Amino acid sequence: MKKTLALFLVLALFSTLTVGYAVAQSVTDVIAQAQQMTNEELFKKAIEESNGKTLYGIGNSSRGKSAGESFVAMLQTIEPGYTGVIEWSQPKNNSIFTTLNADIKSSQHIYSMTLIQDGNQIKSKMLDTGNLLNFIPKDWLDAQGTDEALNGHPLALQTLNKVFMFNNTDGTAIKNVWEYVAEGRAPLFMGVNSELVGKNFLYMLTYETYADYLKAAFDALSADQQAYFQAVVDEVAPDAEYLGLTAANAPYALAWIKLWCTQYNEQTDDGPICNTLVTTSAAGQSGLLVYSKLRSVEESAEASVNNITIAAYQDDYTGIGGFGYKHYLQVVKTSPLPWTACAFISYMTTTKDGFAAWGKDIGGYSSNPNINKDHTRDGYDGDTLVFAAKNDRGYDWWVSAEGGELVLEDPAYCASVSFDLGDWIDMIIGTRP
Amino acid sequence: MAQTAAVRPGRGRVLLNRLRTYLTKPQNAILLLLGLLLTVTTIAPMASILTDTVSVHIGSVDAHYTGLTGGYTLYNWVDLFTGRLAGINLWRPLANSVLLSVYSCAGAILYGGLFAYLVTRTNLRLKQYLSSIFIFPYIMPQWTLAVVWQNLFSSSAVSGTSDGLFAALFGVQMPAWWTQGMFPSSVVLALHYAPFAYILIGGIFRNMDANLEEAATILNTPRWKTFLRVTVPMVKPAILSTVLLVFSSAMGSYPVPHYLNLTTLTTKYVEMSEKRAGQASILAVIMVLFGVAILLANQRATSSRKSYTTVTGKSGQSAKVNLGRIGRVAVALALVVTTLFSGILPIVLFAVETFLPNPGDYSFLTNGLAGNVTLKWWNTSEGISENGMYGQRGILYNGTIWNAFEGTMIVALWCAALAGTVGLLVGYAVSKKRRSRWATYVNNIAFLPYLMPSLAVGVAFFIFGSSAGIFNTYLLLILAGTVKYIPFASRSSLNSMLQLSGEIEEAAVIQNISWFRRMTRIIIPIQKSSIISGYLLPFMTCLRELTLFMLLCSQTRIITTLLDYFDEMGLYAFSSGINLLLIVVILMCNALVNKLTGASLDKGIGGK
Repeated sequence: MKKTLALFLVLALFSTLTVGYAVAQSVTDVIAQAQQMTNEELFKKAIEESNGKTLYGIGNSSRGKSAGESFVAMLQTIEPGYTGVIEWSQPKNNSIFTTLNADIKSSQHIYSMTLIQDGNQIKSKMLDTGNLLNFIPKDWLDAQGTDEALNGHPLALQTLNKVFMFNNTDGTAIKNVWEYVAEGRAPLFMGVNSELVGKNFLYMLTYETYADYLKAAFDALSADQQAYFQAVVDEVAPDAEYLGLTAANAPYALAWIKLWCTQYNEQTDDGPICNTLVTTSAAGQSGLLVYSKLRSVEESAEASVNNITIAAYQDDYTGIGGFGYKHYLQVVKTSPLPWTACAFISYMTTTKDGFAAWGKDIGGYSSNPNINKDHTRDGYDGDTLVFAAKNDRGYDWWVSAEGGELVLEDPAYCASVSFDLGDWIDMIIGTRP
Repeated sequence: MAQTAAVRPGRGRVLLNRLRTYLTKPQNAILLLLGLLLTVTTIAPMASILTDTVSVHIGSVDAHYTGLTGGYTLYNWVDLFTGRLAGINLWRPLANSVLLSVYSCAGAILYGGLFAYLVTRTNLRLKQYLSSIFIFPYIMPQWTLAVVWQNLFSSSAVSGTSDGLFAALFGVQMPAWWTQGMFPSSVVLALHYAPFAYILIGGIFRNMDANLEEAATILNTPRWKTFLRVTVPMVKPAILSTVLLVFSSAMGSYPVPHYLNLTTLTTKYVEMSEKRAGQASILAVIMVLFGVAILLANQRATSSRKSYTTVTGKSGQSAKVNLGRIGRVAVALALVVTTLFSGILPIVLFAVETFLPNPGDYSFLTNGLAGNVTLKWWNTSEGISENGMYGQRGILYNGTIWNAFEGTMIVALWCAALAGTVGLLVGYAVSKKRRSRWATYVNNIAFLPYLMPSLAVGVAFFIFGSSAGIFNTYLLLILAGTVKYIPFASRSSLNSMLQLSGEIEEAAVIQNISWFRRMTRIIIPIQKSSIISGYLLPFMTCLRELTLFMLLCSQTRIITTLLDYFDEMGLYAFSSGINLLLIVVILMCNALVNKLTGASLDKGIGGK
């Protein structure tokens, strides 16, 4: 009896391992083949594979749902009888990695692909472990202006920006990034432990380029202001060394981070932050939030986009205008429908219709510049400027040193500093008054 | 002379026969089967959490600092208790959780107990209305009260946001301690759980032997002394039961402290689950230990329960305290105002929110209705991103909302059916074998999941579900819900079964009536009110459950996780509409069941 039981257990274990290996192997094979195919060929494969089936996608952006509907409609123009469906879910509360890992471990796999943010965790938990597999569409690689080194590993759908803005109804004007951490100011911001791209932004500030931006902005402050902040810089300077930060201006970055973490007003999401900032009663309040949220404001007696000023759009503004983070598209290693996942990814990164769910609004910039839409005049009604804050100056302006000085997330750098610097930040947040 | 040797049956045969005899009694079979089943469903998930505390998680601190890529380590325990973040990740959240639980208990008992006293022991006016409206906060998802609190009391000057209703309409800016943190979290949870205290303490007040108080009156004892020395000791068991129920529930609450910005073990658990997954599991273990400790303390307290005997003359009837002609109206009005705030106002605000152009934008109050109210949240028939719709259709056309609602109904109905039936059987079997240790064990193990914070049970089932390959399925939600809600049904069933004389069933046994017929024709019909409540409570609680399910499924699977999603996104019109829907469904179910069977929500808890 014992022998039979032992044999059964061994067989069960062996079959589980081999099945798991076989699934991963086949998905890898599919990706290898799919990378050699044009969109046309990929879409045919997707139709063959998923007709009458449901592809489950999971992501940090709710717009994956709209993109999925557009993708299905496109497949139906090729094969009118196609009845596949894309089901999209957007877990909150920091649970997308947990959900994906649970799905990968389970014996019945649900999710085929993901649109995921937080380069730091993607690297340490998903790419290093092989749980997510990278797929680079041939049409994306062949397109003019795409940058494989910058956006191909892992494949980025887009860069989104969170930008500094403030309510101007009482005449408030914030002209320097250090003013966001001045005494008494409490900008609205999502908790850095509930949306970790915010924490990645803080990590990135210690990177040489961005620490230099902060130092330059510091130098532009008045003597009184400098004196106030210098005390904090001196206080944290030993920490920069202890944390192994190599940027010469890292103490300035740490000082800004310390003040920010002590003072920011934690909110559950960017939606509520936007709803708050646009109201007249929020006079003088400021925040760091997703730029595209402004699209959702309906003008009323109490709320208006014109109550908002985008800090970096002021001619005499000095310093960082916000931060950029990427949405990465990945195939789950246990994907039940890998061909369809690859086709869907290719559709979103190589066609205007595929990117339309994000591209039609300000604040999202495709990794494929050919499918971006111009939003520089979104604030105009004909020739009349109605909402200056909605005129998106575009990716190139935002990331340039002469423009928005956007802080861009680098997964490798974030992963290298996240444990020690992360604890340092948690210590500050944990002892907030 | 031939000798006949007595044939002795083998030892195995004797045991088998004994077992057969033992199992011929249905209560024995039920206890054995359910005891084993509940042990597995309760202990196995806990074992999963414990294992997780010593497992290495790739990408987490345990893997980073130990250099391990798999296997087991004690790093998480050592670092959580002695590391430099111990104060932030453990001690401060723990202290906040304990204080929150204590304050919530105290608030619920004071408010619910006083209300119970006024309704049952005085000549208060409007009792029926107040009694119905008082349980509304329990019907509503607990975080909705937290969101209402924010909408009422936030202000630009104090909370650094836009003005809430109080600041906008009256210029009142509440202090920071009022708007966020421990105070509002405790008040919201106390309001939410006060119905427990009302139902449990009210049940005792209602059925209390008036002789004791009458005896004190005859002995010329002052009213206050009678209250403190006679009445309060009588309701002590109910108070302890309330503590038992509220303490763990408050400790396990995630959404209320999350929305009101209080760091507790639950909010810390969610924060830490990505980078410190093993340490987060230790927090879950700590929450479970608190639940067990409260159960043990409660058992110790109730086992030494005193009984009282009157030594004076007997009283014929229960006397009601006369509040006076003005007093009975004034107190009733005060309670009407209080319950308006806790029960009616949230519903009105939910309804209004679904017509506002932007979340929290009450322009219509100062600028008139024209252009400042909208039907877009209800009747937008296409998924558009403009005007704050975020690609969603209006509630009436939103397939995601209705699919999630259907999912919730499926889960709630199954949970109610399973938890109600298992609870009924547990109550029946335990009442028949009340002196047996095994019966006591089964009773305790069935009740244990209630004492475990919902998040801890959710964590356990998440780990279990992932391993079993049933993550994100209705099956996992139903399993977790059933185990968590059996206590409602088992308590209700046990209390009602204990009131039933054994002679009734014995008479049927003598007439050779089968167990099934005895249950369906005699026992269940007699106690149908309590038993149906044992089904009703899991159903209603399941409809508005978030904390237990939030880790077990994707966000669009059931209505509460979808509601939470809309709340976090700031799409309050959708979440408010869903809240309204939930409240209406629960009230309709309660009314329907009440009409059909005479059972209702307030008769369920504790089987009163």
